[in-house]
Amino acid sequence: MNTLRFLVFLALMALLWLPVSAGQLCARDAFDRDVCLTDPAQRVVSLSPGATELLFSAGAGKQVKAVSAWSDYPQEATKLPQVGDSNRLDLEAILTLKPDLVVAWVDGNSAAQLERLEVLGIPVFWLEPRTFQDIARAVEDLARLTGHENPGSVRASEFLAGIAELRDQYRDALPVRVFYQVWHQPLMTINDEELIGRAIQLCGGDNVFGHLPRLVPRLSAEAVLEANPDAIVSGGEGGEDRRWLEQWQRYPDLKAVASDNLFLVSPSLIQRPTLRMLAGAEELCQVLEQVRARL
Amino acid sequence: MHGYSRALAVLGLISLACMLLSVSVGSASLSLADTFSVLTGTGTSLQQTLVLDLRLPRTLSAFATGGLLAVAGALMQVLLRNPLADPYVLGLSGGAAVGALLAMMTGVASAVVSGSAFVGALLSTFLVFGLAHGTGSWTPSRLLLTGVVVAAFWGALIALILAMSPARQLPGMLYWLMGDISPAANPFPALILLIFVCLLVFPLGRSLNVLARGPMQAAALGVSVRPLEWTVYILASLLTAMAVTIAGSIGFVGLIVPHMLRLVLGNDQRLILPACAMAGGALLVLADTLARVVIAPEQLPVGVITALLGVPTFLYLLHRSR
Repeated sequence: MNTLRFLVFLALMALLWLPVSAGQLCARDAFDRDVCLTDPAQRVVSLSPGATELLFSAGAGKQVKAVSAWSDYPQEATKLPQVGDSNRLDLEAILTLKPDLVVAWVDGNSAAQLERLEVLGIPVFWLEPRTFQDIARAVEDLARLTGHENPGSVRASEFLAGIAELRDQYRDALPVRVFYQVWHQPLMTINDEELIGRAIQLCGGDNVFGHLPRLVPRLSAEAVLEANPDAIVSGGEGGEDRRWLEQWQRYPDLKAVASDNLFLVSPSLIQRPTLRMLAGAEELCQVLEQVRARL
Repeated sequence: MHGYSRALAVLGLISLACMLLSVSVGSASLSLADTFSVLTGTGTSLQQTLVLDLRLPRTLSAFATGGLLAVAGALMQVLLRNPLADPYVLGLSGGAAVGALLAMMTGVASAVVSGSAFVGALLSTFLVFGLAHGTGSWTPSRLLLTGVVVAAFWGALIALILAMSPARQLPGMLYWLMGDISPAANPFPALILLIFVCLLVFPLGRSLNVLARGPMQAAALGVSVRPLEWTVYILASLLTAMAVTIAGSIGFVGLIVPHMLRLVLGNDQRLILPACAMAGGALLVLADTLARVVIAPEQLPVGVITALLGVPTFLYLLHRSR
């Protein structure tokens, strides 16, 4: 009898060490930590425009109580109160809102600042989507944490299906050498590891600076002249801004200038690591198709 | 004077060599023969574009900026009779930075950013002169103090602008603050100013030598101190404003080049001022070449290189002069 009781006691103790999975919503964040909530989060604060979009995509729009500056999509997000920008956050404003989940961005927000929130018991979920799979998984994770697991899952699969379709469509397409301009002063571009770089590869393009080690290299115009890409693509400074592309007209010998392959793409579609990236990638693929037709 | 012409000729040759190096070297390096062929009108179209449209204006801008900063630094050191004076001591670079950063924050074209920087620099000069006016004359110490305080004020404004700008504009702003020659398109205004000033300081050189001993002695020796000081202040401010407008606030050149030359060539302003123009220009051209090449195809801002290059060189010269 004593041995049996002892074994039951041991078994019960062992159970305590197992994660209590019944009723807990868990997701692994960008720092490899498991963020677990007992109930779906009802008061969520988003600390970056990308996180805001992903939360709304996950179906959690009504549960988002505050956003960071520059959160302009979807339209409903612009009506929400703002709590600061990147690493200039108003921690007091965040605390006053009594959030039960804070969604942060690895390159945008300061871990040191948000640690203060975690110490006070507010769970922080960090995002860092570097691939299309990461974007889908972010939507799924956020959907799970906010109680929309099924719809979120559906949207994520649709996104991945769209990406796979593009990949298949352009798998055997003629490679187009592309230079994607992120900024003009200093001249910045992206390498193959960055999402825009991956979109270029998806569309059968060849990023002329894709091999560089830095995610966002700063170059000189000379490097572009030497690489002599087939096309120059840019999001511009926001809106319909062709100024940067027109600057390249100074070098009429560039292949891209001679064939008028200077393209502006919608920056909000392609420069945000969100589900809209699919639309951005589609736009980029169409641009590259136009270039192929002229090659 | 014979020694002077020799020294200037040597500096001239060094300057030319540096410029030739700068124009040949880059992401797509050309051999000297290719460079010569381009400069004389032949060569492939790509080479011509590289050398004539990209590198030549940049090299000339770098030379002009370096020369302007070094001459301005030398003039400031004579006027303020203080070896720590550099072209930015009167808050000029701060004013220009505020002008440029405000323009960048509103997203205007590069030409407007340069113009804004120039206006900011001149505004700062007027501000400092206006505030430093005590009962009587502008003494060097009063001017220096006012300049330091105004520069601190600009520094605070710069920090404010950096704190409030959207994150994507920050790299551009930081590059401007560290000194970056790549936006420079048209070197001729700066070059013309540099040549004009060098010709001008030739007659001024003797008076400046006397002034360096102190205003009382200078007045006793027949130099009209007040008009001379005014002229030189205005000149130095104009030179610095032009330099900062082209390339942002490149540090170190204006402070160290005059000292380096004095260690080697003595303290005659008639020699030092034109020598500063050439040595400062050559130093900045070399620094800019390195900035373009060191982590090619990536770029560094040139202000980083001037300090890293200049400090060991200066320490070496200092050590040797003992």
